[in-house]
Amino acid sequence: MAQRLALRRLLAGPGRALGTSAARPSAFNVQDGGDFQERVVNSAKPVVVDFHAQWCGPCKILGPRLEKMVAKQEGKVVMAKVDIDDHTDLAIEYEVSAVPTVLAMKNGDVVDKFVGIKDEDQLEAFLKKLIGA
Amino acid sequence: MFQYSLILFAFSVQAHKEGNPQKLLEMNGHTAVPHSYDYDLIVIGGGSGGLAAAKEAAKYEKKVMVLDFVTPTPLGNSWGLGGTCVNVGCIPKKLMHQAALLGQALQDSRKFGWQFPEEVKHNWMTMTESVQNYIGSLNWGYRVALREKKVTYENAYGEFVQIFPLATNKRGVEKLYTAERFLIATGERPRYLGIPGDKEYCISSDDLFSLPYCPGKTLVVGASYVALECAGFLAGLGLDVTVMVRSILLRGFDQDMANKIGEYMEEHGIKFIREFVPIKVEQIEEGTPGRLKVTAKSTKGNEVIGGEYNTVLLAIGRDACTRKIGLDKVGVKINEKTGKIPVNDMEQTNVPYIYAIGDILQDRLELTPVAIQAGRLLVQRLYGGATTKCDYVNVPTTVFTPLEYGACGYSEENAIQKFGEENIEVYHSHFWPLEWTVPSRDNNKCYAKIICNIRDNERVIGFHVLGPNAGEVTQGFAAAIKCGLTKEQLDSTIGIHPVCAEVFTTLSVTKRSG
Repeated sequence: MAQRLALRRLLAGPGRALGTSAARPSAFNVQDGGDFQERVVNSAKPVVVDFHAQWCGPCKILGPRLEKMVAKQEGKVVMAKVDIDDHTDLAIEYEVSAVPTVLAMKNGDVVDKFVGIKDEDQLEAFLKKLIGA
Repeated sequence: MFQYSLILFAFSVQAHKEGNPQKLLEMNGHTAVPHSYDYDLIVIGGGSGGLAAAKEAAKYEKKVMVLDFVTPTPLGNSWGLGGTCVNVGCIPKKLMHQAALLGQALQDSRKFGWQFPEEVKHNWMTMTESVQNYIGSLNWGYRVALREKKVTYENAYGEFVQIFPLATNKRGVEKLYTAERFLIATGERPRYLGIPGDKEYCISSDDLFSLPYCPGKTLVVGASYVALECAGFLAGLGLDVTVMVRSILLRGFDQDMANKIGEYMEEHGIKFIREFVPIKVEQIEEGTPGRLKVTAKSTKGNEVIGGEYNTVLLAIGRDACTRKIGLDKVGVKINEKTGKIPVNDMEQTNVPYIYAIGDILQDRLELTPVAIQAGRLLVQRLYGGATTKCDYVNVPTTVFTPLEYGACGYSEENAIQKFGEENIEVYHSHFWPLEWTVPSRDNNKCYAKIICNIRDNERVIGFHVLGPNAGEVTQGFAAAIKCGLTKEQLDSTIGIHPVCAEVFTTLSVTKRSG
C-alpha cells in the first residue's frame, strides 16, 4: 500500500480538510479503536459515523455534504470519519460492506444507518431524527 | 503404498505423542482423523487461485483460512488482497491499455467529425489514481466476500514448519496453525537481471501500475507479453519507449504472429534494440522520474552501447514464490532450477495432503482463469465428491499489445511439429476493420489464421487473430473449438456483418497455395 498511499497524499488537495472554518470543527478522523470507544461509543452527544475509503468516488461527495449538514445542527451532533482500509477491524465490527456507510449512534448503540449518497434534505432529516429521538 | 508411507510421516508427530505408529498404518485418507485441526484447509496465497478455492471450500461448510502477504518490492511498493492479477497484473494492465486505445480513438474521432484542439495531452496521475481506486474497491470486495463466506483471512506470511504452517504478520508476530490439507497458491514475482543498479534503480510491473509520477522516457527490458503490453500502452500514452530484446519476441507463442506484433509496434513509434542485454544501470540524476544511464552488451559480439532513460522497466520473466515457504520441511518437491511445483492431474504435490495451483505449477499455463478453474474443481473433488479434472487443453489467451492478439490451440510451429506439415492446412487472411477505414488506419495489418488437422476432418486445432478486441473475438471460438469445430462447420457458419470476426467464416486462401 505504501506507493499507493503516497500517491493519494500527493493528490489530496486542500479541499479534503476535515474541519470547517468554524472555531470548533464538527468532524474528526477516528485514530484507532480506543479513540472510537472514547469519542463515539462513550460520547455524550449523538454521533454520525461516516465509513469511507480513499478509492470510493461517492464518498468524496457525501463526506463534505454530510459535514456541512452536521455543522448546521450547531453542535447537537458530532461527526466521526473512519477510513475502512486504515481501520478494517472497526469496519468489520460494524458490518460495513459497501461505502459510504453512515451510522447514527446514540449512547453507544446504532440507531439508524444508510448506505450510498443522500442529498442535503435527506441528510437533514436523518440528522434531525437522530437528535430528536 | 506410496501414499500410506507419506500419511505416516504426516501423522508422525501425533504418533510419537500417542506412542502407537502401528495404529496409523491401518488408516487411509478417507477415514476420520482422530485429532482435530485448526482448519480443514489452509490456503497460502490470496490471489486468483487461492481465493477461488477458499470461497468454494466455504460453500461446503469447511473451515478455511487464507494467508496472503505481499513482500514489498525493492522500491518498497506493496498492495492489498487479491493477488497479482487484481493488483499488478491483468486488471491495471487492461485499464492502462484501454487508456492508450482511447488516445488513439481520440485521434480517429476527428475524421468522424469530432472537433477539439490539435494537441491532446495525457495525465499519468489522473489515470493511475482512477486505476488504483478501482483496485482498492476490489481489494475491499474480496475481504467482504471472504468475511461473508466465513473464511478466515490473515494478512500474514505463511510458511511450513515441520508439518504445521507458521504465519508471520507485518508486526513480526508468529502464530502456529494446523490443517487437514494445504493449498499452495503463492504465485510469482518479477525476476531481476542480477546486474549492478537493477534493484536500486529499475522498476518492474509490481511498481509500474501505481507509480506516483509519469515514467517519462522508458526502456523496457524483455520480450515477454508483459514487456510488450507495457511498452505498448506507455507508447500509446505518448511516452518515448524503447524495448531491449535479448533474442525472440513472445517465446512460446506462434512466432509468425509474434513478429507481426513486433512489426506493428515498430511502425507505430516504439524503438526496438535487438540482441542486446543490459549489463549496468547507473543513476545520472535523482528525481521523479530521475535520469538513468543503461549500458548494454551485444549477445552476438563485443559491441557495447549506452542510452539514457528516465525509467527502466524490467520484464524478463517471473519466478515462483516457492523457495522461502518451508516446502523442504514438509517434503514437497519443487523443480530446483525453476522453483515450480510438479503436480499430478489432480493438482496434488508429492505430499498427498498438500496441493498447489496457479502460476507456480510446472508445465501448466500461467493464467488467472486457469488457476480459478483448477482451484474450484480441486475443492469440488476434495469435498463435493466430484471427479472432474481441470482441462488444460485449448485454453484461449489474449496479448493486449497495441494490435491485440488472441489465440486458442496450437501455434503453427507446434502443429507442424506434432502433426507434420503435410497433415495440416493453414488458412489465413488480412482484414481491414470497418472502423479503421475512415480514419485511414493500416489496411494490411489485421490478420486471421486457423490451423486445421487434415487427417481429422479438417478439425480446427489452432486459432489466431490479430486485430481490435481480439479477446472478445477469441472467446466464442474457444468454445467452438472445445466442441470439436471443423473447417466445414466454420464455413457453414454465417458471419455477422460488418464485424472483424466474420473473416473467420470466409477463409479460403491457404498458406500452401502461396
